[in-house]
Amino acid sequence: MSDSAKLSHTAALILQTIDQGCRYGFDVMDQTGLPSGTVYPALRRMESEGLISSQWESEKKATAEQRPPRKYYRITRAGSQVLEQSQKRYPLLARLLAKPRA
Amino acid sequence: MQAEPKRPLSVVLCGALIQLAGHLVPAAQRPEWKQEWLAEIWHRWQFLHYAGAWSRAEGLRLLRRCLGAFADASWHFTAQYDVQTRIRECIRSPWTCLSAWGAAILVVAVLSSGLPAARGLFNQATHNASGRLLFIWLHPILTGGDKGLPPDVAPAWTRYSHLLEGAAGFAIARQHVKTPGTMASRVLTIRTDPDFFTVLEASPVVGSIPRETGLVLTDSIWQSLFHRDPHVVGRSLQIGAESHRVAGVLNRRFQFLSRQPAIYIIEPHPPATSMMVVARVRPNVSEKALDRELTRIAEVTCYDFFQSQLRYGFLDEAAWIPVQIFTVSVLVCTLLLIAVSGIRIRHLRAALTYPDRAALARRSAFWLAKTALALGFVFLAGLEWSRSQSAILYGSKDPANGPFMLWLYVLGSMAVLFWSVADQRARCRICLRLLCFPVRIGCPGCLLLDWSGTELLCTEGHGVLHVPHLAASWDEESDRWITLDESWKDLFAASGSGHADT
Repeated sequence: MSDSAKLSHTAALILQTIDQGCRYGFDVMDQTGLPSGTVYPALRRMESEGLISSQWESEKKATAEQRPPRKYYRITRAGSQVLEQSQKRYPLLARLLAKPRA
Repeated sequence: MQAEPKRPLSVVLCGALIQLAGHLVPAAQRPEWKQEWLAEIWHRWQFLHYAGAWSRAEGLRLLRRCLGAFADASWHFTAQYDVQTRIRECIRSPWTCLSAWGAAILVVAVLSSGLPAARGLFNQATHNASGRLLFIWLHPILTGGDKGLPPDVAPAWTRYSHLLEGAAGFAIARQHVKTPGTMASRVLTIRTDPDFFTVLEASPVVGSIPRETGLVLTDSIWQSLFHRDPHVVGRSLQIGAESHRVAGVLNRRFQFLSRQPAIYIIEPHPPATSMMVVARVRPNVSEKALDRELTRIAEVTCYDFFQSQLRYGFLDEAAWIPVQIFTVSVLVCTLLLIAVSGIRIRHLRAALTYPDRAALARRSAFWLAKTALALGFVFLAGLEWSRSQSAILYGSKDPANGPFMLWLYVLGSMAVLFWSVADQRARCRICLRLLCFPVRIGCPGCLLLDWSGTELLCTEGHGVLHVPHLAASWDEESDRWITLDESWKDLFAASGSGHADT
């Protein structure tokens, strides 16, 4: 997605949350306070636009820990560029979230 | 790792919700989608369980989060190309247009609780012999406008007129009304004398009509202020600075001037400076004879009214005034449309010689149907809205029958007729779907040797519409429809279900 103007404030907030280390849907909801009906469709849209990518964790690792595997999201290079532009567009965006995760 | 604890009910319900929402997701993506959601639910439950923070509230929060799965699944559903194409086709369909107007009428019916004003047009039996019920008011020649009459005119008419069975003056106001121990509310009050209900031939269901002073309530006021207390007679009510006692309650079907809840303040000599008059005329009395007699009687009471200064309106005739206003508005707007849109006799003649008679008939029927539905919506919405606000049935100040309604109907009819023609021009001449894929062609302004405009295409491949950006003076036709012949069929059939690709 080259046109950052299309990224809404909510989408930019979700993208920033993923950039800060929240890697799955429920984690993004906890961090942003947004409902699941907003977060998940936004994640799908951003994934289809190439701003984020998703990856299933290793089946072997999950089986060894006797739990179902999770799907993790990470920001792409294009997503980082769009986020940078969005942060300029929404100057207060960075203040909305706590300090970045390690 | 310890053995998995028993799943709480909320987690089981979350799983069921995901299974249900999963039906919206395309089959190819469904297993992965479900796996992601179920894994998130499992991890959240396990984390809280082992942290000792799992509670009923957390279970409910998790359940609420799972409701978002429906929004997520819907996104997957609508993101499908086929679904998007189907939605676009549905929006372009002529049936959608007709259904939308039908739904708009339904919304008006629901919001107005069953179109009471429109039903009232066909059911005017709220008063006995309403054809003989007459409203009289004053229309001064010099100052214009509608005004009430002096308060002592109505009793004089009742006493001396041979053509009236009875007459009563009334004055309308909105006043703060309060029962002991409740908040004051603004209510429609009608100040009148005891003859008023004799003229209307209305009798109460509870109590009686007072011969001196007292209040008569409508059924809705009895309900809202006294909760249908059967012992309401004698209870006091504060109206403005005055206190009155309730004397009776009217029939549920009783309606005068307005559907709004009203309180009738009965007084032998209402302290109003001007009053409208309601009268019951004897059968077969002409308006001219009545005017002559009432003017003469008024002279006895020291009021000289010039001829035709008194205005008369029969109750059953006045109920149809909105229909007359609406008909005139539609006719005026139709003439305006013909003048502005450049529809000429030759266009109609060309349309009638259109080779495909079936398509022409279908097009005409669709245009008539959508215009009728849209005009029906304007009529009903305007009628219900203005009648719900109306407190005075007659005169130029009346929102239901006065200039307000005229403007409402003129503007509404104009909007509908102009939209209807514009919408018709933007549709395929064969299948009546809205044309799409606009393509701009040529250079704007280059009209001498070139053509500039927009081309719109029918998705079924029936034809192309050329719309010039600027109609040249030598070119009498504006929009030009070109029917595509059989040789184009393959192109549209190739894109699957007959939808052209951009």
